[in-house]
Amino acid sequence: MVCSAFVRRASTAINIIPTGPRTRRSVKIATGRKVAIKKIKVGQFKDGLDMSAIREVKFLRELKHQNVIELLDVFSSKKNLNLVLEFLDTDLELVIKDRSLVFLPADIKSWMAMTFRGLEFCHRNFILHRDLKPNNLLIAANGQLKIADFGLARDFADPGYKMTCQVITRWYRPPELLFGCRYYSTAVDIWSVGCIFAELMLRTPYLPGETDMDQLKTIFRALGTPTEDDWPGHTKLPDYVPVGQFAKTPFRDLFTAASSDCLNLLGKCLIYDPRRRISAKDALNHPYFFALPYPTHPSKLPKPAKKEDAVPLEEVDGNVDQNGSGPGVKANQPNNKLKRKHSSDELGSRPVARRLDFTKS
Amino acid sequence: MTMASASEPPQASSSTQHSLYEGSTQYLHWRFSPEQLGRMRHTLNEDAVSAIRNAFESDSLGSSTSVSFLSADEEHLLVKLYVGKISQLCGHFRFPEEVEATAASYMKRFYLKNTVMDWHPKNVMLTALFLATKTTNHPISLESYAAHIPRTVPSDVLDLEFLVAQSLGFDFAVWHPHRALWGIWLDVQNIPDASIEELSRAYEAAVGHVRAARLTDAEFIYTPSQIALACFSIASPTLASAWAHAKFPSSPRPPVLEVLDPIKTLILRDGSPPDVEAVREVDRRLRLCKNPEKIPGSNAYIKKQQEKERKADEKRRRKAEAVRIAMEDGDPFGNELAKKAAAADLDDDDDDD
Repeated sequence: MVCSAFVRRASTAINIIPTGPRTRRSVKIATGRKVAIKKIKVGQFKDGLDMSAIREVKFLRELKHQNVIELLDVFSSKKNLNLVLEFLDTDLELVIKDRSLVFLPADIKSWMAMTFRGLEFCHRNFILHRDLKPNNLLIAANGQLKIADFGLARDFADPGYKMTCQVITRWYRPPELLFGCRYYSTAVDIWSVGCIFAELMLRTPYLPGETDMDQLKTIFRALGTPTEDDWPGHTKLPDYVPVGQFAKTPFRDLFTAASSDCLNLLGKCLIYDPRRRISAKDALNHPYFFALPYPTHPSKLPKPAKKEDAVPLEEVDGNVDQNGSGPGVKANQPNNKLKRKHSSDELGSRPVARRLDFTKS
Repeated sequence: MTMASASEPPQASSSTQHSLYEGSTQYLHWRFSPEQLGRMRHTLNEDAVSAIRNAFESDSLGSSTSVSFLSADEEHLLVKLYVGKISQLCGHFRFPEEVEATAASYMKRFYLKNTVMDWHPKNVMLTALFLATKTTNHPISLESYAAHIPRTVPSDVLDLEFLVAQSLGFDFAVWHPHRALWGIWLDVQNIPDASIEELSRAYEAAVGHVRAARLTDAEFIYTPSQIALACFSIASPTLASAWAHAKFPSSPRPPVLEVLDPIKTLILRDGSPPDVEAVREVDRRLRLCKNPEKIPGSNAYIKKQQEKERKADEKRRRKAEAVRIAMEDGDPFGNELAKKAAAADLDDDDDDD
């Protein structure tokens, strides 16, 4: 056993708190800090420790940032690899889907700032996340957003070395990957962030394609079919197929209440040419983040009402779920009735009650 | 094993003031002084010898007196030989330099925590290399890996994988001098008046020195960029100095040049493969002083396994008892169980395998 004193305490924990279906279990350790333990079974794969576990451990061991989930420790028990992660209450997908919550422009700005900060740190460390989507952005009790699930992450390849284009969940996948591009960069993650940005405003996925081909069509319908000027060379990409001519829908038509700074940044995240797409660092310096309203303090951000604790202990190991939302640490889907009741209380305490729902416009 | 990152200071706020390297696990967990390295290896060796001596004695009394155990230096010699063999194997598989360098680091780190008398470096080498292919994103199937290595079956590689990963503290990411050297190579091409022939000759020679440095303790003591510049400086002191002056135009004597001499000495002194005859003698003695508890079939091994099983049984029994009592109390998650569990040092990870 290579467990440190820290984990010894965890494994003799006195209080086992049931958590959601994919977070294995959470335990309170002697320090009083709640942690989540993600268990990865070893020995069921013919090639030993599997790649997604290795990637997750490798990158999370190196990354320490307030907007990246913290891997507190790794220990083994028999033939299991256990990742001790900080415990996080919920994720951005649950927040977006919770219809009882009202988002203010300042709230969206706050989530975007935290996402870009975490992502800038990953990119500064030469790491591509390659699976950004709302339910991989977890939310701590204090409101801090944390990038999680590094099962598809990798270091930047050297120039001239191929990478797989089969990454990133379809709705958040950039057009260059859909065209089979094998040489790509941090711009792939930025596209995903752009999609998340739009989703925060729309409260529904922005580009929900049904197949990979349909995904391209969906993108072009929203943003217009790219011309050679928009994106030089894209017709030469390995899997390029013409999917029809569509005109761009002006952002203004869809995002009626957004500020022009906001739409400007959104547009820069969704530029077709990956070389011209904005970087995480430049995004953080974008006027959007310096204009009024200032980002909401994380602790004041809307979040789903606390779930009841009395759900039975459930647990699934970390390897099974590749297609779903991916292994991450998250709470149970909150009970709907309860949620409504609680969150209406919460609503009252928030200063503004203007509802920013763009779905009906 | 020090892997509780919980005790480390939070890095988040400092990340902008420090270099990225200072946030790496390599900087935090795998940096030592030469004296520390010597002490660690010495202590490790002493503890191993006394443990193995006990194992021999408990098997049959007085049997350890005739055994000549390996010294820390002899262990180190053997490890060095197999670190060198990694590069042969990588040539055979045509693995990229990244895989080779990573495997060598894994191997050297492993033997800062383990003794060759417990785990033979040949097996550890095969596992370290296989693990490195995966952690550097160049995975190959275990079957084809094992098929290309004589007298090796997949289980030989896999059996130690978890042990190796644990010994590394799961610090899979390694920063290498050859990457830093590549950066220097790109930089020096901007130096005016240097002929490209001269530059590429120096670079090629430096690459050789970086490979030699892998056989030494340099990576535990210095940063990858220091090692890279030292290697470049062995190849061409003038170009190395020109590079440093171009990097630090305002200082007449760039401080980075001051640290190069001890690194160069270290690489030139320790950077060649060990004498095969000397190692053969060590390996022959290793066969006689291997930890009997790690040799399947030996009395000590069987005894150890039985002891393990007895303990596991005991644990299961205690646990079942605790659960039974709790059920009788009608509250499976009650405080009673929790207290008993804590008292019995109950490991709740074992119940659902």
